[in-house]
Amino acid sequence: MEGGTAIDGLTACAIIAKAIGSAAALLAMGGPLFVIAFRQAPATVLQMARQIAVAAAMIGIAVLAVRFGIRAARISGMGFAGAVDPMMLGFVWDSPLGTAAIWRMAGYLCVLGLMMPKRGGVAVSLIGAGLLAVSYTRVGHALSDPQMLLSALLVVHLLAVALWVAALLPLRRAASVPAGAALLHNFGVLASVTVPVLIIAGLGFAWIMAGSLWALFGTAYGLMLLAKVALVSILLMLAALNKWRLVPALARGLPEADKALRRAITLEVAIVGLILLATATLTSVTTPPIHL
Amino acid sequence: MKTSILAAAFALTATFVLAHAKPATMTPEDGSTVTAPEVIAIHFDAPMRVTAFTLTGPDGDIAVTRTVGMEPVTQFDAAPGSPLLPADYTVEWRGMSQDGHPMQGSFAFAVAD
Repeated sequence: MEGGTAIDGLTACAIIAKAIGSAAALLAMGGPLFVIAFRQAPATVLQMARQIAVAAAMIGIAVLAVRFGIRAARISGMGFAGAVDPMMLGFVWDSPLGTAAIWRMAGYLCVLGLMMPKRGGVAVSLIGAGLLAVSYTRVGHALSDPQMLLSALLVVHLLAVALWVAALLPLRRAASVPAGAALLHNFGVLASVTVPVLIIAGLGFAWIMAGSLWALFGTAYGLMLLAKVALVSILLMLAALNKWRLVPALARGLPEADKALRRAITLEVAIVGLILLATATLTSVTTPPIHL
Repeated sequence: MKTSILAAAFALTATFVLAHAKPATMTPEDGSTVTAPEVIAIHFDAPMRVTAFTLTGPDGDIAVTRTVGMEPVTQFDAAPGSPLLPADYTVEWRGMSQDGHPMQGSFAFAVAD
Protein backbone atom coordinates (compact mmCIF):
# COMPACT_ATOMS: atom_id res chain seq x y z
CA MET A 1 0.00 0.00 0.00
CA GLU A 2 1.43 3.37 -1.02
CA GLY A 3 2.30 5.77 1.77
CA GLY A 4 2.31 3.28 4.65
CA THR A 5 5.13 2.18 6.92
CA ALA A 6 5.50 -1.24 8.55
CA ILE A 7 4.54 -1.23 12.23
CA ASP A 8 7.30 -2.65 14.44
CA GLY A 9 7.32 -2.92 18.25
CA LEU A 10 8.53 0.63 18.79
CA THR A 11 6.05 2.05 16.32
CA ALA A 12 3.23 0.17 18.07
CA CYS A 13 4.38 1.71 21.39
CA ALA A 14 4.47 5.12 19.70
CA ILE A 15 0.89 4.71 18.41
CA ILE A 16 -0.47 3.56 21.78
CA ALA A 17 1.35 6.37 23.63
CA LYS A 18 0.04 8.89 21.10
CA ALA A 19 -3.55 7.63 21.52
CA ILE A 20 -3.29 7.83 25.33
CA GLY A 21 -1.69 11.28 24.99
CA SER A 22 -4.53 12.42 22.72
CA ALA A 23 -7.16 11.13 25.16
CA ALA A 24 -5.42 12.99 27.99
CA ALA A 25 -5.13 16.18 25.94
CA LEU A 26 -8.78 16.07 24.82
CA LEU A 27 -10.03 15.46 28.36
CA ALA A 28 -7.78 18.21 29.73
CA MET A 29 -8.91 20.62 26.97
CA GLY A 30 -12.57 19.73 27.18
CA GLY A 31 -12.90 19.82 30.98
CA PRO A 32 -12.58 23.62 31.28
CA LEU A 33 -14.89 24.08 28.25
CA PHE A 34 -17.52 21.84 29.88
CA VAL A 35 -17.26 23.63 33.24
CA ILE A 36 -17.73 27.03 31.55
CA ALA A 37 -20.46 25.92 29.13
CA PHE A 38 -22.55 24.15 31.80
CA ARG A 39 -22.07 26.27 34.91
CA GLN A 40 -25.61 25.38 36.04
CA ALA A 41 -24.94 21.62 35.96
CA PRO A 42 -25.40 19.57 39.15
CA ALA A 43 -22.41 20.07 41.49
CA THR A 44 -21.39 16.39 41.46
CA VAL A 45 -21.25 16.44 37.66
CA LEU A 46 -19.11 19.59 37.57
CA GLN A 47 -16.87 18.14 40.25
CA MET A 48 -16.39 15.02 38.14
CA ALA A 49 -15.54 17.08 35.03
CA ARG A 50 -12.90 19.01 36.99
CA GLN A 51 -11.39 15.87 38.51
CA ILE A 52 -11.15 14.14 35.11
CA ALA A 53 -9.50 17.17 33.51
CA VAL A 54 -6.95 17.49 36.32
CA ALA A 55 -6.12 13.76 36.26
CA ALA A 56 -5.87 13.90 32.45
CA ALA A 57 -3.45 16.86 32.65
CA MET A 58 -1.21 14.91 35.03
CA ILE A 59 -1.30 11.79 32.85
CA GLY A 60 -0.72 13.96 29.78
CA ILE A 61 2.49 15.38 31.26
CA ALA A 62 3.79 11.87 31.98
CA VAL A 63 2.86 10.61 28.50
CA LEU A 64 4.64 13.59 26.95
CA ALA A 65 7.91 12.45 28.57
CA VAL A 66 7.34 8.85 27.47
CA ARG A 67 6.67 9.95 23.88
CA PHE A 68 9.96 11.85 23.81
CA GLY A 69 11.78 8.66 24.74
CA ILE A 70 9.90 6.55 22.19
CA ARG A 71 10.61 9.02 19.40
CA ALA A 72 14.31 9.16 20.32
CA ALA A 73 14.37 5.36 20.23
CA ARG A 74 12.64 5.28 16.82
CA ILE A 75 15.15 7.57 15.13
CA SER A 76 18.17 6.06 16.88
CA GLY A 77 18.05 2.63 15.26
CA MET A 78 19.21 1.30 18.65
CA GLY A 79 15.86 -0.06 19.79
CA PHE A 80 14.56 0.86 23.24
CA ALA A 81 18.11 1.76 24.37
CA GLY A 82 17.85 4.84 22.17
CA ALA A 83 15.09 6.22 24.40
CA VAL A 84 17.67 7.61 26.83
CA ASP A 85 20.36 8.54 24.30
CA PRO A 86 21.13 12.23 25.02
CA MET A 87 21.95 13.05 21.39
CA MET A 88 18.73 11.50 20.03
CA LEU A 89 16.68 13.16 22.79
CA GLY A 90 18.36 16.43 21.78
CA PHE A 91 17.25 15.95 18.17
CA VAL A 92 13.68 15.30 19.29
CA TRP A 93 13.81 18.42 21.48
CA ASP A 94 15.05 20.47 18.50
CA SER A 95 12.26 19.10 16.29
CA PRO A 96 8.69 20.41 16.12
CA LEU A 97 7.78 17.84 18.81
CA GLY A 98 9.96 19.85 21.22
CA THR A 99 8.14 23.06 20.30
CA ALA A 100 4.76 21.34 20.65
CA ALA A 101 5.84 19.92 24.01
CA ILE A 102 6.48 23.41 25.41
CA TRP A 103 2.99 24.56 24.37
CA ARG A 104 1.44 21.35 25.64
CA MET A 105 3.23 21.41 28.99
CA ALA A 106 2.13 25.03 29.51
CA GLY A 107 -1.40 24.00 28.58
CA TYR A 108 -1.49 21.09 31.03
CA LEU A 109 -0.13 23.24 33.86
CA CYS A 110 -2.81 25.88 33.20
CA VAL A 111 -5.53 23.19 33.18
CA LEU A 112 -4.40 22.28 36.70
CA GLY A 113 -5.87 25.70 37.57
CA LEU A 114 -9.20 23.84 37.85
CA MET A 115 -7.96 22.73 41.27
CA MET A 116 -8.05 26.34 42.46
CA PRO A 117 -11.23 27.14 44.39
CA LYS A 118 -11.75 30.60 42.87
CA ARG A 119 -13.26 31.42 39.47
CA GLY A 120 -9.86 32.65 38.30
CA GLY A 121 -8.76 29.04 38.20
CA VAL A 122 -11.34 28.24 35.53
CA ALA A 123 -10.14 31.18 33.44
CA VAL A 124 -6.56 29.94 33.69
CA SER A 125 -7.68 26.44 32.70
CA LEU A 126 -9.45 27.88 29.64
CA ILE A 127 -6.16 29.44 28.55
CA GLY A 128 -4.69 25.98 29.07
CA ALA A 129 -7.28 24.47 26.72
CA GLY A 130 -6.28 27.01 24.07
CA LEU A 131 -2.57 26.30 24.53
CA LEU A 132 -3.18 22.55 24.23
CA ALA A 133 -5.14 23.02 20.99
CA VAL A 134 -2.42 25.25 19.53
CA SER A 135 0.26 22.71 20.53
CA TYR A 136 -1.17 20.32 17.94
CA THR A 137 -0.61 22.88 15.20
CA ARG A 138 3.09 23.06 16.04
CA VAL A 139 3.88 19.49 15.00
CA GLY A 140 2.97 16.99 12.33
CA HIS A 141 0.66 17.30 9.37
CA ALA A 142 -0.65 20.76 10.35
CA LEU A 143 2.79 22.13 9.41
CA SER A 144 2.05 21.41 5.76
CA ASP A 145 0.92 24.07 3.33
CA PRO A 146 -1.50 25.98 3.61
CA GLN A 147 -0.31 26.13 7.20
CA MET A 148 -2.54 28.92 8.50
CA LEU A 149 -5.74 27.35 7.20
CA LEU A 150 -4.78 23.86 8.40
CA SER A 151 -3.90 25.20 11.84
CA ALA A 152 -7.17 27.08 12.19
CA LEU A 153 -9.17 24.02 11.08
CA LEU A 154 -7.28 21.82 13.53
CA VAL A 155 -7.77 24.16 16.52
CA VAL A 156 -11.52 24.40 15.87
CA HIS A 157 -11.78 20.63 15.29
CA LEU A 158 -9.86 19.78 18.46
CA LEU A 159 -11.75 22.16 20.76
CA ALA A 160 -15.10 20.88 19.51
CA VAL A 161 -13.99 17.24 19.82
CA ALA A 162 -12.57 17.94 23.28
CA LEU A 163 -15.84 19.35 24.57
CA TRP A 164 -17.64 16.21 23.41
CA VAL A 165 -15.09 13.70 24.69
CA ALA A 166 -14.66 15.41 28.06
CA ALA A 167 -18.45 15.59 28.50
CA LEU A 168 -19.07 11.85 28.10
CA LEU A 169 -18.34 10.61 31.63
CA PRO A 170 -19.88 13.63 33.38
CA LEU A 171 -23.02 13.17 31.24
CA ARG A 172 -23.07 9.49 32.16
CA ARG A 173 -23.06 10.59 35.80
CA ALA A 174 -25.78 13.13 35.03
CA ALA A 175 -28.05 10.33 33.80
CA SER A 176 -28.41 9.12 37.37
CA VAL A 177 -28.77 12.39 39.31
CA PRO A 178 -31.86 14.55 39.71
CA ALA A 179 -31.83 17.51 37.28
CA GLY A 180 -29.46 15.54 35.10
CA ALA A 181 -31.97 15.34 32.24
CA ALA A 182 -31.88 19.13 31.83
CA LEU A 183 -28.09 19.05 31.51
CA LEU A 184 -28.26 16.22 28.98
CA HIS A 185 -30.83 18.17 26.97
CA ASN A 186 -28.69 21.33 27.06
CA PHE A 187 -25.64 19.38 25.96
CA GLY A 188 -27.63 18.02 23.01
CA VAL A 189 -28.58 21.58 22.00
CA LEU A 190 -24.96 22.77 22.15
CA ALA A 191 -23.70 19.63 20.39
CA SER A 192 -26.09 20.27 17.50
CA VAL A 193 -23.83 23.24 16.76
CA THR A 194 -20.38 21.98 17.83
CA VAL A 195 -20.63 18.54 16.21
CA PRO A 196 -21.31 19.86 12.67
CA VAL A 197 -18.47 22.35 13.24
CA LEU A 198 -16.03 19.58 14.21
CA ILE A 199 -17.09 17.47 11.23
CA ILE A 200 -16.70 20.33 8.75
CA ALA A 201 -13.30 21.37 10.20
CA GLY A 202 -12.08 17.75 10.26
CA LEU A 203 -13.23 17.02 6.72
CA GLY A 204 -11.69 20.29 5.52
CA PHE A 205 -8.35 19.29 7.01
CA ALA A 206 -8.58 15.77 5.58
CA TRP A 207 -9.61 17.10 2.16
CA ILE A 208 -6.47 19.25 1.97
CA MET A 209 -4.29 16.34 3.16
CA ALA A 210 -5.82 13.84 0.75
CA GLY A 211 -5.81 16.14 -2.26
CA SER A 212 -8.35 14.09 -4.17
CA LEU A 213 -11.19 11.62 -3.70
CA TRP A 214 -9.19 8.94 -5.48
CA ALA A 215 -6.40 9.24 -2.88
CA LEU A 216 -8.83 8.01 -0.21
CA PHE A 217 -8.97 4.57 -1.78
CA GLY A 218 -5.48 4.23 -3.19
CA THR A 219 -3.32 5.14 -0.19
CA ALA A 220 -2.72 3.94 3.36
CA TYR A 221 -3.60 7.43 4.65
CA GLY A 222 -6.87 7.39 2.76
CA LEU A 223 -7.91 3.97 4.04
CA MET A 224 -7.08 4.83 7.68
CA LEU A 225 -9.01 8.06 7.24
CA LEU A 226 -12.03 6.12 5.90
CA ALA A 227 -11.78 3.77 8.92
CA LYS A 228 -11.83 6.79 11.21
CA VAL A 229 -14.80 8.33 9.38
CA ALA A 230 -16.68 4.99 9.64
CA LEU A 231 -16.12 4.91 13.43
CA VAL A 232 -17.18 8.57 13.73
CA SER A 233 -20.36 7.73 11.79
CA ILE A 234 -21.25 5.03 14.32
CA LEU A 235 -20.56 7.51 17.12
CA LEU A 236 -22.84 10.07 15.48
CA MET A 237 -25.66 7.53 15.19
CA LEU A 238 -25.31 6.73 18.89
CA ALA A 239 -25.26 10.43 19.74
CA ALA A 240 -28.41 10.94 17.66
CA LEU A 241 -30.08 8.02 19.43
CA ASN A 242 -29.21 9.63 22.77
CA LYS A 243 -30.42 13.07 21.76
CA TRP A 244 -33.72 12.09 20.17
CA ARG A 245 -34.72 8.96 22.06
CA LEU A 246 -32.91 8.26 25.30
CA VAL A 247 -32.59 11.80 26.72
CA PRO A 248 -36.29 12.61 26.11
CA ALA A 249 -37.16 9.22 27.69
CA LEU A 250 -35.09 10.15 30.74
CA ALA A 251 -36.77 13.57 30.92
CA ARG A 252 -40.18 11.88 30.89
CA GLY A 253 -39.03 9.60 33.71
CA LEU A 254 -39.54 6.38 31.75
CA PRO A 255 -38.34 3.27 33.58
CA GLU A 256 -34.89 1.96 32.65
CA ALA A 257 -34.19 5.14 30.62
CA ASP A 258 -31.21 6.05 32.80
CA LYS A 259 -29.67 2.60 32.42
CA ALA A 260 -30.10 2.62 28.65
CA LEU A 261 -28.55 6.08 28.42
CA ARG A 262 -25.58 5.12 30.60
CA ARG A 263 -25.00 2.03 28.46
CA ALA A 264 -25.13 4.09 25.28
CA ILE A 265 -22.63 6.62 26.68
CA THR A 266 -20.30 3.80 27.78
CA LEU A 267 -20.38 2.53 24.21
CA GLU A 268 -19.61 6.05 22.98
CA VAL A 269 -16.53 6.10 25.25
CA ALA A 270 -15.34 2.80 23.75
CA ILE A 271 -15.81 4.07 20.19
CA VAL A 272 -13.94 7.29 21.03
CA GLY A 273 -11.06 5.06 22.21
CA LEU A 274 -11.03 3.28 18.83
CA ILE A 275 -11.17 6.62 16.97
CA LEU A 276 -8.16 7.87 18.92
CA LEU A 277 -6.26 4.69 18.05
CA ALA A 278 -7.18 5.08 14.37
CA THR A 279 -6.13 8.74 14.46
CA ALA A 280 -2.81 7.91 16.15
CA THR A 281 -2.12 5.30 13.47
CA LEU A 282 -3.19 7.70 10.72
CA THR A 283 -0.79 10.38 11.90
CA SER A 284 2.10 8.05 12.79
CA VAL A 285 2.66 5.59 9.98
CA THR A 286 0.91 6.95 6.92
CA THR A 287 1.96 9.77 4.64
CA PRO A 288 -0.74 12.20 3.51
CA PRO A 289 -1.25 11.81 -0.26
CA ILE A 290 -0.31 15.48 -0.87
CA HIS A 291 3.22 14.51 0.23
CA LEU A 292 3.48 11.36 -1.91
CA MET B 1 -15.00 33.72 19.46
CA LYS B 2 -12.05 32.71 21.65
CA THR B 3 -11.23 30.06 19.10
CA SER B 4 -11.15 32.47 16.20
CA ILE B 5 -8.99 34.94 18.15
CA LEU B 6 -6.62 32.12 19.01
CA ALA B 7 -6.50 30.88 15.43
CA ALA B 8 -5.90 34.40 14.12
CA ALA B 9 -3.17 35.04 16.69
CA PHE B 10 -1.49 31.83 15.72
CA ALA B 11 -1.81 32.51 12.01
CA LEU B 12 0.22 35.68 12.46
CA THR B 13 3.10 33.71 13.95
CA ALA B 14 3.08 31.01 11.26
CA THR B 15 6.62 30.36 10.12
CA PHE B 16 7.85 27.76 7.70
CA VAL B 17 6.14 25.19 5.58
CA LEU B 18 7.48 21.87 6.75
CA ALA B 19 6.57 18.49 5.42
CA HIS B 20 7.61 14.91 5.28
CA ALA B 21 10.85 14.42 3.41
CA LYS B 22 11.28 11.21 1.52
CA PRO B 23 14.12 9.64 -0.43
CA ALA B 24 13.89 10.58 -4.09
CA THR B 25 16.82 8.51 -5.40
CA MET B 26 19.22 5.99 -3.98
CA THR B 27 22.68 5.04 -5.25
CA PRO B 28 23.06 2.19 -6.01
CA GLU B 29 19.42 1.79 -6.99
CA ASP B 30 17.25 -0.58 -5.01
CA GLY B 31 17.52 -4.09 -6.48
CA SER B 32 20.38 -3.19 -8.82
CA THR B 33 23.57 -5.13 -9.49
CA VAL B 34 26.63 -2.91 -9.69
CA THR B 35 30.42 -2.92 -9.56
CA ALA B 36 31.77 -2.11 -6.09
CA PRO B 37 30.42 1.40 -5.32
CA GLU B 38 32.75 3.89 -3.67
CA VAL B 39 29.85 5.85 -2.24
CA ILE B 40 26.37 4.89 -1.11
CA ALA B 41 24.04 7.84 -1.44
CA ILE B 42 20.48 8.81 -0.66
CA HIS B 43 18.96 11.93 -2.12
CA PHE B 44 15.99 13.31 -0.19
CA ASP B 45 13.39 15.68 -1.62
CA ALA B 46 13.53 17.81 1.55
CA PRO B 47 16.09 18.09 4.36
CA MET B 48 16.36 14.94 6.48
CA ARG B 49 18.37 14.42 9.63
CA VAL B 50 19.79 10.94 9.07
CA THR B 51 20.28 9.57 12.58
CA ALA B 52 21.21 5.99 11.77
CA PHE B 53 22.72 4.37 8.69
CA THR B 54 23.67 0.70 8.49
CA LEU B 55 25.26 -1.17 5.61
CA THR B 56 24.97 -4.92 6.01
CA GLY B 57 26.83 -7.51 3.95
CA PRO B 58 27.13 -11.31 4.11
CA ASP B 59 29.35 -11.08 7.20
CA GLY B 60 27.29 -8.52 9.09
CA ASP B 61 27.47 -4.75 9.47
CA ILE B 62 30.16 -2.92 7.52
CA ALA B 63 31.83 0.23 8.84
CA VAL B 64 31.09 3.31 6.75
CA THR B 65 32.34 6.89 6.81
CA ARG B 66 29.61 9.50 6.62
CA THR B 67 30.45 12.62 4.67
CA VAL B 68 27.91 14.61 6.68
CA GLY B 69 27.19 14.71 10.39
CA MET B 70 23.75 14.61 11.94
CA GLU B 71 22.58 17.90 10.44
CA PRO B 72 19.53 17.84 8.13
CA VAL B 73 20.63 17.30 4.52
CA THR B 74 19.08 16.56 1.14
CA GLN B 75 22.13 14.64 -0.05
CA PHE B 76 23.45 11.92 2.24
CA ASP B 77 26.66 10.07 1.32
CA ALA B 78 28.52 7.28 3.09
CA ALA B 79 31.66 5.48 1.92
CA PRO B 80 32.38 1.86 2.87
CA GLY B 81 35.57 1.50 4.95
CA SER B 82 36.94 -1.05 2.49
CA PRO B 83 36.01 -2.02 -1.10
CA LEU B 84 32.82 -4.10 -1.21
CA LEU B 85 33.36 -7.68 -2.34
CA PRO B 86 30.88 -9.40 -4.66
CA ALA B 87 27.81 -10.19 -2.54
CA ASP B 88 24.34 -8.93 -1.62
CA TYR B 89 24.15 -5.81 0.55
CA THR B 90 21.36 -4.09 2.45
CA VAL B 91 21.18 -0.46 3.56
CA GLU B 92 18.90 0.61 6.41
CA TRP B 93 18.50 4.17 7.52
CA ARG B 94 16.49 6.10 10.06
CA GLY B 95 15.98 9.79 10.35
CA MET B 96 13.70 12.63 11.22
CA SER B 97 12.06 14.89 8.68
CA GLN B 98 11.68 18.59 9.37
CA ASP B 99 8.09 18.26 10.55
CA GLY B 100 9.34 15.98 13.34
CA HIS B 101 8.16 12.67 11.87
CA PRO B 102 10.50 9.73 12.40
CA MET B 103 11.29 8.25 9.00
CA GLN B 104 13.01 5.04 7.98
CA GLY B 105 13.81 3.09 4.87
CA SER B 106 15.92 0.37 3.41
CA PHE B 107 17.22 -0.74 0.02
CA ALA B 108 19.32 -3.56 -1.29
CA PHE B 109 21.85 -4.02 -4.06
CA ALA B 110 24.29 -6.65 -5.26
CA VAL B 111 27.95 -6.19 -6.09
CA ALA B 112 29.20 -8.27 -9.04
CA ASP B 113 32.73 -8.86 -10.29
